[in-house]
Amino acid sequence: MIDAKKTIVVTGIGVVSPYGIGWAALRDGMLAGRCCLQPATDLYPGFQGTLAQVGGLPQLPESHHLSRSDKLAVLAARDAVSGYNGASETLRESGIIMASTVAGLSEIDAEIAKGAAEWYRHGGLKRAASYSVSCVGAAVAESLKIQGPCSTVSVACASGAMSIALGANLLLDGAAPMVLAGGSDALCPFTLSGFNSLQALDPEPCRPFDQNRQGLNLGEGAAVLLLETLAHARERGAPIHAILRGWAMTNDASHPTAPRSDGAGLAACIGRALEMAGCGINEVGYVNAHGTGTPLNDIAETHAFERAFSGRSTPIPVSSTKSYFGHCLGAAGALEAAITITAMQEGALFPTLRLTDPIESDSVDYLRGELRRQSLPVAMSVSAGFGGSNAALIFGRPRP
Amino acid sequence: MTATQITGIGSVTPFGPLAGLLPSISIAPRVITAWPTNGLRRAFLVETFRPAAVVPGLKTRRLDRLSAWALVSSSLALQDAGVDLSQMDRSRIAVVFATSFGCVELTEAFYQSANANGWSGTDPITFPETLGNAPAAHVALFHQLQGPNLTLSSKNFAAESALLQAASLLRHGQADMAVVLAGDTLTQAVYEWYEAAQMLAPACFNEEPLTPSTGFIPGEGVVAMVLEPEGKRQARSYAALLGGRWATGGGAQAYIHQLLGDGAPQRIICAGNGEPCASSSETCPALKIAGPDAVILLQQPVASGLADAGALFHLLLALSQRPGSGEALMLGAAGGSGFAVLHLELP
Repeated sequence: MIDAKKTIVVTGIGVVSPYGIGWAALRDGMLAGRCCLQPATDLYPGFQGTLAQVGGLPQLPESHHLSRSDKLAVLAARDAVSGYNGASETLRESGIIMASTVAGLSEIDAEIAKGAAEWYRHGGLKRAASYSVSCVGAAVAESLKIQGPCSTVSVACASGAMSIALGANLLLDGAAPMVLAGGSDALCPFTLSGFNSLQALDPEPCRPFDQNRQGLNLGEGAAVLLLETLAHARERGAPIHAILRGWAMTNDASHPTAPRSDGAGLAACIGRALEMAGCGINEVGYVNAHGTGTPLNDIAETHAFERAFSGRSTPIPVSSTKSYFGHCLGAAGALEAAITITAMQEGALFPTLRLTDPIESDSVDYLRGELRRQSLPVAMSVSAGFGGSNAALIFGRPRP
Repeated sequence: MTATQITGIGSVTPFGPLAGLLPSISIAPRVITAWPTNGLRRAFLVETFRPAAVVPGLKTRRLDRLSAWALVSSSLALQDAGVDLSQMDRSRIAVVFATSFGCVELTEAFYQSANANGWSGTDPITFPETLGNAPAAHVALFHQLQGPNLTLSSKNFAAESALLQAASLLRHGQADMAVVLAGDTLTQAVYEWYEAAQMLAPACFNEEPLTPSTGFIPGEGVVAMVLEPEGKRQARSYAALLGGRWATGGGAQAYIHQLLGDGAPQRIICAGNGEPCASSSETCPALKIAGPDAVILLQQPVASGLADAGALFHLLLALSQRPGSGEALMLGAAGGSGFAVLHLELP
């Protein structure tokens, strides 16, 4: 028997992705199997690589300087509530848990290193004011005039999924009637240069889970889910896109950057989420993997799936949708949550693009080639990040 | 809401690296010598110390000071709580870290390498240490804590939100214990930003005694607290966290009434996140609710210097004054930008 006051549902989804603004653009682009990754040379002098950018952002009325991550977040949040027809007071009292790793780094030039005071005098003061990751959540709050609890999570590439988990906790606490939870990150020289220095970038479009994978591509975007309890959603007659059945967060505590090679930390995270969801390993029909395309991540993740789904009657279907528009860092987990819900709604298991020679595993069914059509009552999205953090979200299709 | 106990405290602040409560001495801002300044500049700075001298075995050479201080303060807090980690299920221990600027020191170093060598010539060892979650990740790695590991920021109320979200993890069975940390480091770029934004108090520019004035004196440090559910382990408690809220808008008065019913707290702890709670339109009603006999623990400039991440330091300073037992409200106000209320029971 479902406790409607303790069941968290998704009633709005907002997306800004390299496909454009709106969840529909993401859905249509992915169902068409369109890849947004493109060669780029203009992010900074000397950079040559592949990435996915969001084009043509509309102007936003600003009372102060918004970073590009702030703008992406605001647009996604507006999209998430575009269908909201409840009381304005309820929206005003709602909570916000956003996620970002880049935040205002995109607004700061390397010239700041020559002399911060001088750089501030020449226009940097307002731009630097958007530096803190807290600005991403605050920008959403200001734009939508939301006055409830507001935080921004920054847990590297697991941030976006964690914001959804924390948003769900906030609802269970009764701290807000609804919560906007998601992530946003813009491309910028700082992160591109950082991943380049680590030799983690594939100069060509990435090939997650392929034995010949060379690394990741960076992307940018934002996704925001409108969360509320089932009881609250029913009361206001809201459309229910998905049930958030379970969530969990763990840490490998193994290495500052590399995942545990045996996948035990992520497997434990998946196990906890399954336990919370009251879900057996055979019920999960699809896993949207973290799947960065780096040599270390993809093998560790494969081992995690082998551990977590050990004893399953059939190999677990897995894909990495980072092969469509790259790794959007702090936004990735939220974007992939939106993609996982899309997969359930459409009965569409998205293949990993360019996957020709998958990592060998008897337990994992790496989706590749054509889009697979099948009914999908339960699906999972997992994320992991530098610092060893893991997050798992389990979504269920709403009952008719 | 089930009570959550604060059972251990560790800190790296201008008082130095310490376990437990702080000594009753007053701290004056120090003259900045770590970078060239245009005349005398002061701030509440942490004096340089060797982390391994405080916590044997710590290796912090390549880390941002924020990561190093997080390691030291978390170690001191766990030690103060009497936690024997070898006897604990470490997969059930969470780390929740609140910060405004994250690892800004190494972020500046990364910008310097970009400025010197171009974006194609940046330092791969520095980059991962610039990430906001690096301090919390190092805490997990050093203590082998495999529970949820969160780093978050909230305008004005990062520390309060960390405390409340950590309590939420315990309440929902997602962790059995949480190490909550809050702090920031002060660098030249941050200090000069405050100065350019004309946010500094006059006391930053001269060696006069502190007087009430506009502006603030920037500070730095990290405070760590161990949180446990009530009754899980026999441990000394500094305070019980009974409930609370942080919000970007108004409504503090209504929330305080909802929280307390007809009750009145005997103690008000002010956490200055931009506005003195004694004069804030959002929180001064609480002072009225408390009545004339209530003890008001005013915010102290040394903790206000931590801005968004200062609430744990404010709480530590208040507890260090040994304010006696009973109900307490900790209030933070930020002008029109919100409020934070923590409902506490002091033993």
